[in-house]
Amino acid sequence: MEPARYNDEVSGATGQYFPERYTMIDMYPVNDYGPLMPGLVMAAVAIVHVFLAQFAVGGGILLCYFQWLAMTGRSESSRIFVHGYFKVLVLISFVLGALTGVGIWFTSIQVSAPTIGEMVFNFHWIWATEWTFFCLEVVAGYCFYRYHNQLSDRTCLTLLVLYAFAAWMSLFWINGILSWQLTPGDWLTTHAVADGFFNPGFWPSLFFRTIVCMTLAALIGCVVVNVIPALSREQRQELINKAAHLLMPMLAMPVLGAWFLYTMPSDSRSWVLGGSPAMMLFFMISVGASLAIGGYAFLGLWLQKLYVNGATASLLLLLLAFGATAGGEFVREGSRKPYTVRHVLYSNGIRPEEVAELRIHGCVTNDPYPVIHETSLPNEMVTVGAKVFRRQCAVCHTMEGSNAVAHLTASWDADQMRMNIAKLQQTKPFMPPFAGTAAELESLVQYILWVHDSRPNDWRDSSESATIDQITKWLDEAGTEPADVSSRKTPVATATRIDSSESEGSAE
Amino acid sequence: MDRMFPFGFDSHLAFYLVVYVLTLVVHVFLMAYVLAGSLWLSWATLFPGADATPRAKQPLARILRDWMPFALSGAITAGVAPLLFVQILYRQQFYTANLLLGWRWMVVIPVLVMAFYLLYVVKSNAVGRMSLPVRLGLSVSIAACFLFVAFCWTANHLLSLDATVWPEAYGSGVAVKSGFALPLRLLTWIIGTFPVMSILASWQLRGMRSRTAASDPTVSESHWTALFNFEHRRLGTVSVAGLALASVCAAGYGATLPPSVRALLIGNTGLPWILVVIAGVLFQIAGWLFQFRRPCICNRWLSAISLAATITLIGVASLREIIRLTLVNLDQVTVATKAAAGVGGFELFVVFTILNVGLIVWCICLVQSRNRQA
Repeated sequence: MEPARYNDEVSGATGQYFPERYTMIDMYPVNDYGPLMPGLVMAAVAIVHVFLAQFAVGGGILLCYFQWLAMTGRSESSRIFVHGYFKVLVLISFVLGALTGVGIWFTSIQVSAPTIGEMVFNFHWIWATEWTFFCLEVVAGYCFYRYHNQLSDRTCLTLLVLYAFAAWMSLFWINGILSWQLTPGDWLTTHAVADGFFNPGFWPSLFFRTIVCMTLAALIGCVVVNVIPALSREQRQELINKAAHLLMPMLAMPVLGAWFLYTMPSDSRSWVLGGSPAMMLFFMISVGASLAIGGYAFLGLWLQKLYVNGATASLLLLLLAFGATAGGEFVREGSRKPYTVRHVLYSNGIRPEEVAELRIHGCVTNDPYPVIHETSLPNEMVTVGAKVFRRQCAVCHTMEGSNAVAHLTASWDADQMRMNIAKLQQTKPFMPPFAGTAAELESLVQYILWVHDSRPNDWRDSSESATIDQITKWLDEAGTEPADVSSRKTPVATATRIDSSESEGSAE
Repeated sequence: MDRMFPFGFDSHLAFYLVVYVLTLVVHVFLMAYVLAGSLWLSWATLFPGADATPRAKQPLARILRDWMPFALSGAITAGVAPLLFVQILYRQQFYTANLLLGWRWMVVIPVLVMAFYLLYVVKSNAVGRMSLPVRLGLSVSIAACFLFVAFCWTANHLLSLDATVWPEAYGSGVAVKSGFALPLRLLTWIIGTFPVMSILASWQLRGMRSRTAASDPTVSESHWTALFNFEHRRLGTVSVAGLALASVCAAGYGATLPPSVRALLIGNTGLPWILVVIAGVLFQIAGWLFQFRRPCICNRWLSAISLAATITLIGVASLREIIRLTLVNLDQVTVATKAAAGVGGFELFVVFTILNVGLIVWCICLVQSRNRQA
């Protein structure tokens, strides 16, 4: 059964529509970020946002604790701290946290519109539910911020509890969507929103993130304590030790981390535990930074052997906590390879069930967008190659900047390149299969070779039938399945899988 | 599309359109407060007036400075919901316009961050010690930031409507359309924010008047009455002028639309909403004119004007969607919403919306009772 295709007569834009899965596959323009690969842009925004958002969540819990200490007479200086800390929370979290949250949406669109589209499509009511908690968070937070001096202790605590509850619930909801990307679990067969949301990675991820939130809040608390002028040295010592109570759950991090690793698909786990040097490095940075914070907290704050001044807290916070967050987020993003949504969408925005279709019809056949500076390209074949690169590679690679394809393929000759790209998922198991025709693959190879050769004005058109036949043979040998097909539980969608099989059959 | 919007559409599409329009209107209320408020503050700083108290220190400017950071926070938060549903309704159009504008679109975020922090600077006590050029610079910078964001949204929206120009826009890098449509549409929205801001600020002035009069016995009641009535009249004047000018700009924008779109707007789909908008505008103007003849602002009339403004905004948002649905591929949007309706979670949204609205009301009640607690 051939998937229905439509041509948008109104707009002239093209796309494919698979009615069986009710999904729209859109052709989007791809932006060039120069030497930066889009993934790096995404990572930068995401790490900043996650850091700030987790601070907001943990900050709510910390404030509730200190408000309770103040109103029960356990620590009078806590009252001063609560008021000072909340100002920081509002100025940093309400402003930067909220706007980087919107920014992450915009950045996701820039980097991979199909991925964010898939997430929004499947979980838009979960996101809408999260939005209602954003509203509660803002209202409760501002009520406290504006009127805490005029309210009773009990009312202040009520507002802070509501704020903390709303902030934590926003983590609860987004955690389900993010963990679904790596471990969609039973959702792959049922497509039930509950199965997707409460996926295998949900609980370890939620508990782990909650502890990270509390850790960040406690460390920022140490900074704030040191910059409130009204506090004496003794009061600061007391408040820092109280804040350190929120660091104690870090003891559970190794167990939760192991639980999370256990829920990861085996191939993803193998990248983190040595299969991919870059991912292993970031994993170790995250673990090392967390251990350093935990060790310092235990010695200095719990055993009270050390006094934490502003510089120490800042250093710990900004370097270690940021490093741990950045490392953790990198691992979380990277371990999904070759997917952005496991078994649903590859990193380049192509669906697994589309590959067989694109092997026949081509991945840039309907691409309406020209290549920028097209006139500087020597011939049509290289131009097509540039389009193929844009469609299939550009989300994770640049041609000559970061993670550059020209660099990665520098030691390959033309035939090696043809074979390695045709069997990409076998050459590099964290790469998706090539999703285009043999002619498109040859165009990509010629584009890369042309760049290797310093972009000369003249370039030979090399579409000999023997070359194309050889590439076709390699593509057929590699098949259209990803490398992890053996670990796959169930086909994504029966209807489209049948389509793919039929397409493969017809190709043969 | 032969029945009044949204009834002439597939039921799933109509449902998402209603949710989108309603959440957009909530966002527009807060956005209008921030945009018009920042322009008002710039004007008040630039032209202090001949009164003993300069405009920038009069009650309206004080209220705006005090509440704009919260209003911006609220506008951004409220904006998340329509931003979510626009991705369900017009995924390809919205994403493509985002991508074509590229960094020119992404820069909206740092610009808003800058505006946010400048609002806090303007709100702080330190602003009283600043020289006039610095205060003017601050106010104008804030207004410029919001105008830039408004421009980006308008450019994005117009680009998303015209898929025929996408490949050329991508190739040439010229993604902002020239012509009259962009300035007229932008002016409609900018000028249209003043009536909304006037209503919200009027409600705030009422609350401020009662609290200030009670807390400052050295100032006579008659003085406060005169001052606040003057501010109310000024807001009324701004509102009436804003409604009239925005209507002219909207008519001008309508003239730039293709004949097929205009035909739909004056047909069964759009005409009822055009009439609703006209009625809403006329009622607001009449309401403000009636207020001018009274010695003080009347709660009942202000409520009626607020209701009329809400209905007007719903009408404007509906007309905006009718125009968009005429220009995009309706089949594609219908299929997308039908598919989205099959995804679960709506019940969850309803339950938590009720819960959180209740909790928000509780928060406000807790704050309202602060005088008793004090």
